[in-house]
Amino acid sequence: MRIKRREFLGHMAAGSAVVTMPTFLSGCGVQTATAVSEATPENPFMSWFGVDQATTARVMSELTANGADAADLYFQHTRTNSLALEDGIVSSAKSYIEQGVGLRVVVGEQTGYAFTEDLTLPSMLAAARTSSAIASGARVTPPQSFDPAGAGEMYVTTVPWADVGIDQKLPILKFVDEKTRALDPSIQKVAVYWADADERVMIATLGGKLVTDHRPMTRLTVVVTAKKNGELQTGYSNIAAREDFDWYTEERLLAMVQEAVDRTMIQFEARRPPAGEMPVILASGPSGILLHEAIGHGMEADFNRKGTSIYSDMIGKEVAEPFITIVDQADIPNERGALNYDDEGNPAGRTVLVKDGILQSYLHDEISAKQYGLQPTGSGRRESYKYAPMPRMSCTFMEDGPHTREEIIEAVDHGIICETYTNGQVQIGAGDYTFYVKNGWLVEGGKVTAPIKDVNIIGNGPESLKRITMVANDARLDTGGWTCGKNGQSVPVSQGIPTVLVSSMTVGGENVS
Amino acid sequence: MSAELQNKAIQAVEMLENAGADDAWATVSQSRDVEFEYRDGALEKVKDTTSQGLSVQIYVDGRYSSHATTDLNPERLQGFFAEAVAITRALEPDEFREITPPYLFAERPTTHLDLVDQAVFQIDRDQRLQWCEILDASARDNDRVISATGGVYDGSQTSAAASSNGFRGTQESTYCWYGSSVTLRDYGDRRAEDGFYAGGAHVSTLPAASSVGHEALQRALSRLGAEQGPTVKATMVVDARAAGSLIGRLLQPANARNVQQEQSFWTGLIGEQAFSDKLTIIDDPLIPQGLASRHYDAEGISARRLPIVENGVVRNLYVDTYNGRKAGMDPTTGSPSNRVIGTGDYSLEALLAEVGSGVYVTSWLGGNADSTTGDFSLGVRGHMIENGKLGRSVGEMNVTGNLRDLFSRLELVGNDVYPYSSTLAPSLVFTGVDFSGV
Repeated sequence: MRIKRREFLGHMAAGSAVVTMPTFLSGCGVQTATAVSEATPENPFMSWFGVDQATTARVMSELTANGADAADLYFQHTRTNSLALEDGIVSSAKSYIEQGVGLRVVVGEQTGYAFTEDLTLPSMLAAARTSSAIASGARVTPPQSFDPAGAGEMYVTTVPWADVGIDQKLPILKFVDEKTRALDPSIQKVAVYWADADERVMIATLGGKLVTDHRPMTRLTVVVTAKKNGELQTGYSNIAAREDFDWYTEERLLAMVQEAVDRTMIQFEARRPPAGEMPVILASGPSGILLHEAIGHGMEADFNRKGTSIYSDMIGKEVAEPFITIVDQADIPNERGALNYDDEGNPAGRTVLVKDGILQSYLHDEISAKQYGLQPTGSGRRESYKYAPMPRMSCTFMEDGPHTREEIIEAVDHGIICETYTNGQVQIGAGDYTFYVKNGWLVEGGKVTAPIKDVNIIGNGPESLKRITMVANDARLDTGGWTCGKNGQSVPVSQGIPTVLVSSMTVGGENVS
Repeated sequence: MSAELQNKAIQAVEMLENAGADDAWATVSQSRDVEFEYRDGALEKVKDTTSQGLSVQIYVDGRYSSHATTDLNPERLQGFFAEAVAITRALEPDEFREITPPYLFAERPTTHLDLVDQAVFQIDRDQRLQWCEILDASARDNDRVISATGGVYDGSQTSAAASSNGFRGTQESTYCWYGSSVTLRDYGDRRAEDGFYAGGAHVSTLPAASSVGHEALQRALSRLGAEQGPTVKATMVVDARAAGSLIGRLLQPANARNVQQEQSFWTGLIGEQAFSDKLTIIDDPLIPQGLASRHYDAEGISARRLPIVENGVVRNLYVDTYNGRKAGMDPTTGSPSNRVIGTGDYSLEALLAEVGSGVYVTSWLGGNADSTTGDFSLGVRGHMIENGKLGRSVGEMNVTGNLRDLFSRLELVGNDVYPYSSTLAPSLVFTGVDFSGV
């Protein structure tokens, strides 16, 4: 995929963010997470969490007292700030500080897990003892010191979110509100929701690695309700990335506003398509949801090591046309799903799931990689210190193919195009998956005709892959704020795809006799 | 522990007032959770955690904000609160933002909710392992089983709240759940899968682990050989377990916030016959041992039985204090508790016999609904109903329509309430539903 990275790179580099708030207003940057420990801090993250090499080693020693094949300490501090504009005013703010350390010990396929929010030594030692109870072997020798890995470069920010005051953010919400209302007189309500987060993680492993990562995130959403002839319709748009304040250029904000209003207004004309099986064109970008549900989850190795995925016996097999390559990649700068390191401290990179139509590799965490005798793919992720990691996606996309969008539309006699989505789901074993289409179009006689809305689409993963008969050359990642919620753990992800044709899918709709 | 948490909440309110808040509300919570996961004959994961948190709502100069932290270090809390007050001052004033008025938390019910079972605190490693082994053996009692993962989840939660205008309250509950998920070898590369979990506040009310594992296996077995169902307009029978989430979708915009934001198909329906007279939904927070029972809600509003829909007529919506003031509606509660759905006389068997033919839905797959219009489209799986009995297993189908219209075509209601959900719903029968499949 030719990743069309950040067309606004120029704006980003301008570095015009000015810290205008008094320090007490500037977020948590002025305060370390814990009182600085008495020992000499050895790196800024250790200092932030109030620990040093010796305490870390001591806790690791307790954690592995009954034996371990692997063990890690996952220190995390996340500060999330959100603002809401409703009825023209920004009258609600929220902040959330999540701080704790997760302690994991792995013996064979067994995992012991505990966490504590109290980062004092006695509390961490108690949690370590709890976690170590899964094991019943001999003490292993923990490392005496932890070797810091280099800082990653996937989302280096000029000004951390902690130093951006509300007086800077508030005008953005006001601007979005004003510009949205100006676009159409039938707009009744506009709501704008802002969120930014600064996350610091520090992972110390039994192998002696010390991985630190400072992960920014921001998301902006606008929700529009309009009224025509007594009928109400609601639409929305959002953008999200691991970026800083300068990412919100006027151009980007206006594009989001236009998109939200367009999506709302088209619904007054949109109807349900006829129900049943038909060819489905998936427009470039957000339609990457197909990959996330139809193949991505089924390729997560925890399902495969248990034999519970429909893809469990398919590595090396032809699963799609030879012009189809599907990738999960974390090292794409500033994307919402981007990561420098995964949450087990492994470098997060590129894993090819399908190459030229052949199924290549699962997404591995350390447990599954060990079982398969492979290197981890850097796919071990977790929602927070409260959870043990498991294999997850990052940015999942399909690379460009040989066709054009125009050729694909011309090839369809009677079908639909799907453009925007709200959510999807998959059954790992049967391979059946769905996604919900908010906006789309009917295609009749090779031409785009009437708008459609609110239909669920259902298919079977391996069958749908085989039915992708055309792939265009317009691949792009979606900038929407996607969140994946596997087993109750939410992690940010990205997805993308070029325009593709699936020769047959089942479209929810009205039965026409 | 309740008293200690209550003191922390009171202290937090005092600290916030000292930091400059005109009014403040603080909730401190603590929980202990243990999770055992057991797969295919071996213990796979043990998670044992104690967690804490503090959340506050503050009012300064007619402005409002809310904050939460897991870091309860008193020194750092001081800084956190000072910053919270400063953030609030930087916002715009809003005449509708006001702390919950005392009349809403006066006369708190004293019903004994029976949410704490001392036996939960006595559950030990051996007991959890024994349950896991029984679940595993009963869930894997079939040649087609590829894998079964069972688990035991138990714990307790205590919270205490205090406010600057006199609210004080503590709530405590225990829980214990267990169950299994089963994956079976099906035709081709397909795996059939389903599961079953049972739980509640009291250990003694749980069905035997062997019957829970058995039920999980039976549910997975009934998925074998599933094929894509037809594109058809037909009667839909939604089983009791699946009915809860459909009711959840119906109720999602039944609140003052959605109405005030003009994003609700419930707008203007109070007093109207909006749905079939077979539909009754009561929000009842005072059911002993109920999964969502409580004496007061997140805003401190005293719990009371609240009819939402009675025989198809809309009686009340969920109204929190802020959006209530904005929309000119009296507050009820902003957050649902136990939702009790009216039952009928029919067993599931009798419902199927009465219906004759149609589609029996056992679970949903994805899909969504538009809060403003009520338009929905959901993936479904289940069975065809043929000659009044369950027929072949089907999946890969969607059901599409409008929620208000669907619930106006609720034709029959069962007597088979699914107990392991805070939405206590029986099987529901709808006529003339659009399915899409082959």
